[in-house]
Amino acid sequence: MTADVHIHGVEHRFDTFTALHRVDLKISAGEFIVLLGPSGCGKTTLLSIIGGFLSPSEGNVLIGGKDMSLVAPRARPTTTVFQDYALFPHMSLRDNVAFGLRMRGVGRAARHKKALEMLDLVGLSDKGDRKPHALSGGQRQRVALARALAVDPDVLLLDEPLGALDLKLRRQMQDELKAIQRSVGTTFIHVTHDQEEAMAIADRIVVMNQGRIEHCGTPEEVYLTPKTLFSANFMGEMNRIPVTAAGQGVASPLGLLPLAPQTGTLCLRPENLGLAGEVSLGPARLEAAAFFGSHHRCHFTPLAAPDLRLIAHLPQGRHPAPGEEVELFATHPVILAPEAA
Amino acid sequence: MRALSWAYLIAMLGFILLPVAMLVIFSFQDGRLPVPPLKGVTLEWYGKVLSDRALMEALVNSLLVAFVSALTALVLGFLAASGLARVVLPGSAWMRGALIAPMTVSYLIVALGLLQMFGQVGIRPSLLATGIGHVVINLPLCFAITYAAIGEHQRSALKAARDLGAREFQVLWFVAAPMLAPALAAAFFLAFTFSWDEFIIAFLLTRFDVTLPVEIWSMLRSGLSPATNAVGSLVFLVSLVILVALELTLFRKGAK
Repeated sequence: MTADVHIHGVEHRFDTFTALHRVDLKISAGEFIVLLGPSGCGKTTLLSIIGGFLSPSEGNVLIGGKDMSLVAPRARPTTTVFQDYALFPHMSLRDNVAFGLRMRGVGRAARHKKALEMLDLVGLSDKGDRKPHALSGGQRQRVALARALAVDPDVLLLDEPLGALDLKLRRQMQDELKAIQRSVGTTFIHVTHDQEEAMAIADRIVVMNQGRIEHCGTPEEVYLTPKTLFSANFMGEMNRIPVTAAGQGVASPLGLLPLAPQTGTLCLRPENLGLAGEVSLGPARLEAAAFFGSHHRCHFTPLAAPDLRLIAHLPQGRHPAPGEEVELFATHPVILAPEAA
Repeated sequence: MRALSWAYLIAMLGFILLPVAMLVIFSFQDGRLPVPPLKGVTLEWYGKVLSDRALMEALVNSLLVAFVSALTALVLGFLAASGLARVVLPGSAWMRGALIAPMTVSYLIVALGLLQMFGQVGIRPSLLATGIGHVVINLPLCFAITYAAIGEHQRSALKAARDLGAREFQVLWFVAAPMLAPALAAAFFLAFTFSWDEFIIAFLLTRFDVTLPVEIWSMLRSGLSPATNAVGSLVFLVSLVILVALELTLFRKGAK
């Protein structure tokens, strides 16, 4: 089952602190949405409001077209996967997963059957009789996922579910989450502060900062054509060059560049700088380089602007020598207007 | 240094346990007075005590009051703790303070207050009145133990239960109570022993049916006898059994 979620002008205040400023967001049924932002940006608050654990100070949330303002968490078509798993330690995995069905009055045989199906979905069908403390972190996370999905929610809320796992396991769980989401078709709303995780799993990423939505789009859009400096920086490393509009191009410390005239900050990802590309940045000297496995990370100083440092990720095959002077090119240049502060 | 610390340990244990040991030893005294020297060993006094009808009735009364009052205090304390742990109300800190406050009031004051209040509303001194008194003194204890046991882990499990569709009583019954079982058992047994030993409230709030400490007190008024030692030993035995049971079930589990 699945449903769309409409968030209308949701504002939330804690005493004197405003956690969310009039947030509007439309999420289609079956979408995998990731709320991304640094801690304190309001992403978890928004998730709690969708789940019904917090009532917004203003605005409302519609799930499947129904206003949820007066609906308690237990009656909402949502379930949550909590960051600390929140499994019931005194129950076996099967009883944990079957708990939601038991609360809905499903008979013992039927709910156990469903629980085993769900455990099978997350690859733990042979451990139904174990207790949660006998499991590893990754396995507990799977049980929490199975438990939340067992009641066929329309919308599944995931609150930094992979935060406590080590990097390798996290990457593996991301793939599994994505696969499970495709197979069940439920709308997933996932909160994280890890932009790589967001890009790995999301249909759409919602970048949040200080209680506002900075950018909402596909991973490609958010990464390659960011709308704000904040989301540009948050999505990954970025070279920033101040530019001003000048005739047909822009003036920069590197000289006149043939870009659409606009005043602001020219943003270039390190991997979009190279020895060939759309726009020439002029000659630059390699100061230092380090091999990172998938690329060489190089620090360049443009000859036209000795104070500026540009970071470029060059492909493996190329062995740059420090001191070498090369012509740098850029692809995917984005100029962002100064932040309206 | 090592010998000194052993000596200190033995002296300390002796200081604590010697009175109890004397009580138990002289309950077997073959003579009229429970004082040294030990003239011989007999079970006569135990036989006498166990066939004493008033004493046995008091013992049953005590068990009944202890059980019912401990259970009532536990249920009320558990509900209060889960409620206050769940939501932050204006004045939550004051409510917690008010719930724990009776712990700081002497039993005598509590008993006097209850005596006057029961006089007003027409509850006669009885086992019921004593039981209510014991709930008053044990509720803060049960609340404090349960409240302290509710951590972030429990909170999020309770939240998860609500999220999965549990009603509030189902959350308490299926999730909160089992998760807090060790704390609840500890609170119950502590409340039980406190009620079982309690004298002042029981003395002021009972009349015809009395609890065991009150009965022992009236025995003492007619002078020392190995019989009082025998009763005392039996009371001690009950407390000991509860303690050992606690040790074997709860504390060992917690240490694992």
